[in-house]
Amino acid sequence: MEVHYLGEHLWAGRLGQIAVYSSLIFSLAAAIAFFRREYGRSEQAGWLQAARIAYLVHFIAVIAIAAILFVIIQNHWFEYYYAWAHSSRELPKEYLLSCFWEGQEGSFLLWMFWNAVLGLVVLWRRPPAFCGVLGVVALVQFFLSSMLLGIYVFGYKIGSTPFALLRHEMQDAPIFQRADYLSFIADGNGLNPLLQNYWMVIHPPVLFLGFAASLLPFAWAAHGLVSRNFTAWAKPVLPWALFAAAALGTGIMMGGAWAYESLTFGGYWAWDPVENASLVPWLLLIAGIHTNVVFNHTGRSLRATFLFYLMGFALVLYSTFLTRSGILGDTSVHAFTDLGMSGQLLIYMASISLPALALLAWHWRRIPTVQQEEEAYSREFWIFVGTLILLLSSIQITFSTSIPVWNKIFGTNWAPPAEPIEHYNKWQLPIAIVILLLSASGLLLRYRKSDVRKFWRQMAWFSGISAVLAGLLEWYFRFANAAAILLLFASLFGVVVCGFLILDHFRRRRTISGGSVAHFGFALLLLGVLISSAKKEVISVNRGPMSLGSSFSEEQNRTNVLLIKGMPVTMHRYVVTYLGDSVAPPNYYYKVLWERYDTASGAVREQFVLLPNAQINPRMGLIANPDTRHYWYKDLYTHVTSVPDKTKQAQRKEPVFTEHTVAIGDTIRLSRATLTVEGIGSAEKREGQQWEEGDLPVEARITIKMDDGRWHSARPVQLIRDLRIFYLDEHLPELGLTIRLARVLPDERKLIIGVEEREPEHDFIVLTAILFPYINLVWLGTIFTILGFVLALLQRRRQYAVAS
Amino acid sequence: MKKVHLVGLVIIAVAIGFIISVAGDYSSYETFERAKKVPEKDVQIVGYLVTDKEMYYDPVKDPNYFTFYMRDKDSSVHKVILYNSKPRDFERSEQLVVTGRMQGDEFVAKSILMKCPSKYTDNELVLSKEAPAG
Repeated sequence: MEVHYLGEHLWAGRLGQIAVYSSLIFSLAAAIAFFRREYGRSEQAGWLQAARIAYLVHFIAVIAIAAILFVIIQNHWFEYYYAWAHSSRELPKEYLLSCFWEGQEGSFLLWMFWNAVLGLVVLWRRPPAFCGVLGVVALVQFFLSSMLLGIYVFGYKIGSTPFALLRHEMQDAPIFQRADYLSFIADGNGLNPLLQNYWMVIHPPVLFLGFAASLLPFAWAAHGLVSRNFTAWAKPVLPWALFAAAALGTGIMMGGAWAYESLTFGGYWAWDPVENASLVPWLLLIAGIHTNVVFNHTGRSLRATFLFYLMGFALVLYSTFLTRSGILGDTSVHAFTDLGMSGQLLIYMASISLPALALLAWHWRRIPTVQQEEEAYSREFWIFVGTLILLLSSIQITFSTSIPVWNKIFGTNWAPPAEPIEHYNKWQLPIAIVILLLSASGLLLRYRKSDVRKFWRQMAWFSGISAVLAGLLEWYFRFANAAAILLLFASLFGVVVCGFLILDHFRRRRTISGGSVAHFGFALLLLGVLISSAKKEVISVNRGPMSLGSSFSEEQNRTNVLLIKGMPVTMHRYVVTYLGDSVAPPNYYYKVLWERYDTASGAVREQFVLLPNAQINPRMGLIANPDTRHYWYKDLYTHVTSVPDKTKQAQRKEPVFTEHTVAIGDTIRLSRATLTVEGIGSAEKREGQQWEEGDLPVEARITIKMDDGRWHSARPVQLIRDLRIFYLDEHLPELGLTIRLARVLPDERKLIIGVEEREPEHDFIVLTAILFPYINLVWLGTIFTILGFVLALLQRRRQYAVAS
Repeated sequence: MKKVHLVGLVIIAVAIGFIISVAGDYSSYETFERAKKVPEKDVQIVGYLVTDKEMYYDPVKDPNYFTFYMRDKDSSVHKVILYNSKPRDFERSEQLVVTGRMQGDEFVAKSILMKCPSKYTDNELVLSKEAPAG
């Protein structure tokens, strides 16, 4: 029997589905029309008009899909699976955007959105051969649209629609037999707390903008091959490639910032497969930009430019496959779940990248080169060497990241490196040193032919200055490691050379080239990486008073310290005290006081509170969020790793009292403390306790001397109301004591005090605290690098405009 | 010979050197029995948490001492020690990959990777307890 469900907003899904189909059909139509216009035999103006209309319809369809999905999430229409699975009612408004791209469908949509926007920009600016480029863009959009279809063809599921209904996804649940099932769906599944962070609102859009933008150099290169006009594309492509590198680089580093600020692995980079998968396309893009510049100046390295741009986007597709097919499985902390689309992803990857690469192989010999060998003292030669090293770096990262893929193909059972950071650093560190030396000294050379004596004179000066600086920094930091010292020298060399070039150009009022700014930033970035990671210091080494301590002190893993409420612990130069927690559902904030005293006078030099917080999530347990104190020269980074289970403490049993009959001034000896009854009197009103009119409250005044020397006081109250006795016991869980004024015996001038002793319940947190020295160099270097890309983009665009 | 070819050769030589030198980094997944034979080497073991044996973490005694029992692919059960805090949500892990080495009969882990396939998207319908009136 057909059930007529109540309260559903089915029109939205139907509209969305129509938009998906339109997007699919019109992207294909646009691709065909653009290709006909570009490669058709006769000059038919009609095809351009048709292509333009088809592309605009496709663009509107993409916007419509995104808008409808957003409306569904915004309004909490939980009849839609996507809204139910990725959002919840209590979620703050600003994170609703993150829900949008938490799921695979949404992130494909985000990717499509940027492709569509960039295509529109190309259509508007009409650079040479834009029809050939847009044809490739539209073709990619066709494949991406198919990822959102969610239909079955001959038993194969094609795509996964964001407009699937909850009752279709979970058909077995009996609730869906009721027409009014929606009124029972209290709330959605919610957004993963790790993603509830402002970086997660901006990091994915920027990263996907980078992915989308790296399609454009690919499309231009592909057009160059198809049209057999191998050289014309190299000039107009450059600003777009620079834009792609800037966007992708920003996206990657924003991911690092997110990891640093909201994840607890204590760093900004962990060589995780997902990170690697976005780094490799960026490296190839950088290599392509360099050979592209070389070609524009000297006519060399054109083949390499083709290869790098094509491989760059092919690796974007490969990384999409890695992160979305579920193949990474147990090697990554944050691989996406498998939607059963790995086959479709493979087809997408193969049908875009294989024809282009095959075409490159086919035309390889036809691509023009310069026969004459380049000079040893020329910029183009050393840039070319540098790009080969970038390629080597990409191959190493890709090879190691792909271990699960090799296992699948060859049926092997390799485990990925047990120590990923050491494994990658072993190779990427020497590569970084060579790249730094090349990127700086290359700027001292000129294209074609350089003044050899001037070059070596400059090299001698700059190496001398850098060596002195490196010596000073080594004396200060004491890396005491050959590789680290070499990296220190190389990054200082980069900073000194590029810094000199920037100042020199500034002094002579010449345009400061984007290249020198980007290289300056890159050297600064690596200097920051070196210092902040080699000299990072875990200061939460365990010196807690209750710890067993010494027996395992050789273990490096011991990075947590126990902070019992109110008991100061010394860490590094700080005295650290846990003051207590506060709850702002669903977050718990742990208030930790940090104080630094002057060693001579004992005066407080510095005092601040950090609030590392945690979500006690019923589904995921403790989800910690770090809190960091930023200084200009270091970061103090803290997060909680464990807290007591408050739900267990709440289930406290009724206390069982041992009664002591005492007179005023008597003492009661307990196992860990001595109580002294100081007096008795009428109790005054206290916070949280309401005396009523006519109540007779009596309190005993007791001092507690713990055996460890601490002093406390207790004031248990007995209250007579309407001829009934109420006890307001003094409950001291951290001492393990509950004290009751059980009876007052006025005739004997004595009292009966009930005492219950149990194991002290400590309110505590377990904290990890790390000092990252000079981590701001990492962020500053990133900003300079991106700034360099933007400068170069503007300069190349101007050059290009002048030339044409 | 051209300089570019020379550079190419050097890079190829370096690449071969790289593959040989890192081959040692790629271990295969081991079992407890095989790990006992190489107590000086870090190995990775895939296994499952034994839920009916004690899982111990008492931060008040020692915040850097966590132990549990794990069953490997050959069904042998061993105690695993991690000198760090208990990883969050540990009870819910379905599969574990521990990296470390055997010390006698116990496995001392450097790191633990948990796999929770249903990490967040477990399809649990949360229904409101009572139907709203009307």
